[in-house]
Amino acid sequence: MVATLRSLFARRFKEVPAVQDVSFDIDEGEIVGFLGPNGAGKTTTLKMLSGLLYPTSGEVRVLGHTPWKREQGLLSTITLVMGNRSQLLWDIPAADSLRVLQEIFQLSEHTYRASLDELTDLLELEPLLHKPVRNLSLGERMKVEFAAALIHQPRVLFLDEPTIGLDVTMQARIRRFVSDYNRRTGASILLTSHYMDDVVALCKRVIVIHHGRLLYDGALTGLAERMAPHKLIRVTLSHEADLASYGEVVSHEENTTTLKVSREEAADRTAQLVHDLHGQMLDLTLEDPAIEEVIDRVFSEAQVALAAGV
Amino acid sequence: MRQLLRVYRAIFVAEFQAAAQYRVQSVLWLLFAIIRPVVFLAAWSAAAATQGGRIGDMTISDFAAYYVAVTLVSQLTMSWNAYDFELEIRQGKLSPKLLRPLHPLHYSVVENIVFKVATMPALLPVLVLIAWTFQARFATTWGHVLLFVPSVLLAAALRFMFGWLMATFAFWTTRVHGIMHVYDRLVFLFAGQLAPLSLLGGLASIAYWLPFGYMLWAPSEILRGGASIDQALGMIAIQAMWLALSWLGFLGLWQLGLRQFSAVGA
Repeated sequence: MVATLRSLFARRFKEVPAVQDVSFDIDEGEIVGFLGPNGAGKTTTLKMLSGLLYPTSGEVRVLGHTPWKREQGLLSTITLVMGNRSQLLWDIPAADSLRVLQEIFQLSEHTYRASLDELTDLLELEPLLHKPVRNLSLGERMKVEFAAALIHQPRVLFLDEPTIGLDVTMQARIRRFVSDYNRRTGASILLTSHYMDDVVALCKRVIVIHHGRLLYDGALTGLAERMAPHKLIRVTLSHEADLASYGEVVSHEENTTTLKVSREEAADRTAQLVHDLHGQMLDLTLEDPAIEEVIDRVFSEAQVALAAGV
Repeated sequence: MRQLLRVYRAIFVAEFQAAAQYRVQSVLWLLFAIIRPVVFLAAWSAAAATQGGRIGDMTISDFAAYYVAVTLVSQLTMSWNAYDFELEIRQGKLSPKLLRPLHPLHYSVVENIVFKVATMPALLPVLVLIAWTFQARFATTWGHVLLFVPSVLLAAALRFMFGWLMATFAFWTTRVHGIMHVYDRLVFLFAGQLAPLSLLGGLASIAYWLPFGYMLWAPSEILRGGASIDQALGMIAIQAMWLALSWLGFLGLWQLGLRQFSAVGA
């Protein structure tokens, strides 16, 4: 209360850098997952890349343009899709909003038709285009939002949580669509998502940031190798057995045991299990930990390091 | 230019459809637009009646003509874009507009025109009725009618640009309601809504130096024939000057504001 009253007269401001020293390149046709916990600076970075924000320092080039100069040449070739955000007029059918976009992006009737037909086909839009946007469900609206964001056939897509709030089927459809769009047009895509299924399905490469700093940039598969120093061995035997001597038991259900072993020892331990139990073994798999687990580990370790001032 | 007109036409069709769904709201807005000048007209008429039917050089019929003109001009020059802009910034709706190769100002231009086109047919008969009831006396010549056209267009543009000037403060504050309240009071006082500027007494000399009178009072005076042709031409020149200044001010503030924009809510 006292602080509130004081702030009426003398406000104190604290400058918090949202993003620092984040550098990366994205090639034409690449789909890159941009990962980080809430508040990591993902959306801030996307806003800078799309030209909505002026950074206090640093350099960004998108298709040869500096985004915040907002040159027509760039605005006509990029798009930013934000899940749960609408750019369509609420009260009228999406088809009419799309006509407005046709004129704004100066699309010829032929280009517009071809683009709309393609989007209608990929997103199954036909029954949705002529209903007022306010009458569409969240998933349906997201599909027409995608159409509005891509009607001008952008070459660079910034997708910020495009599947947020959607059911599993709709998420899968949007993922399929993004993948098809990338394949058909060769567009570059930078995608943030909290759903790892999106990232696993679409991105070979991921960039991980935390507290505005870059933690990892490389292959999705490499993330597990680098960030999770262990593997999981899942063994199913014909009877109950205690396998604690082979590694740390993570879970045990009926005759199936999951063991955590260090990455270096994984091959030896597996061989040893096969050697010792081959007569009783029904199944054995060796896998990386789930990507969610890896990411979670990365973030919590970064948090600890930050708290310790490392 | 031709391309811009195509864009305007497309936005017009879309916005008109949207506006058509809220006809009752438009009628209510119109009602508010009429009530205030009619109240002032009634008050000035009553005051004039107690002073032998005239205040200064204006008779009750002159007041009637003035307030009919003010109501029409007020409607034709109305601009609410600062409030819309604040909402767009706060709700993150400005961002998609900024990412299209069209300045966000253009959407407001068309929305503004749509509202006026949609409400004008309902307003005109009401104005005729008021003019007839209060026996409005217009001293308008064809010359006045001819000059009224550029004058009201300049006034609309001026009010619109001042609205945008106020709106750009939202880049810094994300709220412009407070600023707009002050601005609206200044318009109320100095634009000729409260009284024709000549009746403002000591405030009149200030009012002539401020831009607000050129948003309402000047075109209203031209329309009712209260200004000579020479005076009308002078008013139009001052309107053009204020418009140029507000445009330059807007360009500067907009560029500074964009640098400041934090794209909240988006």
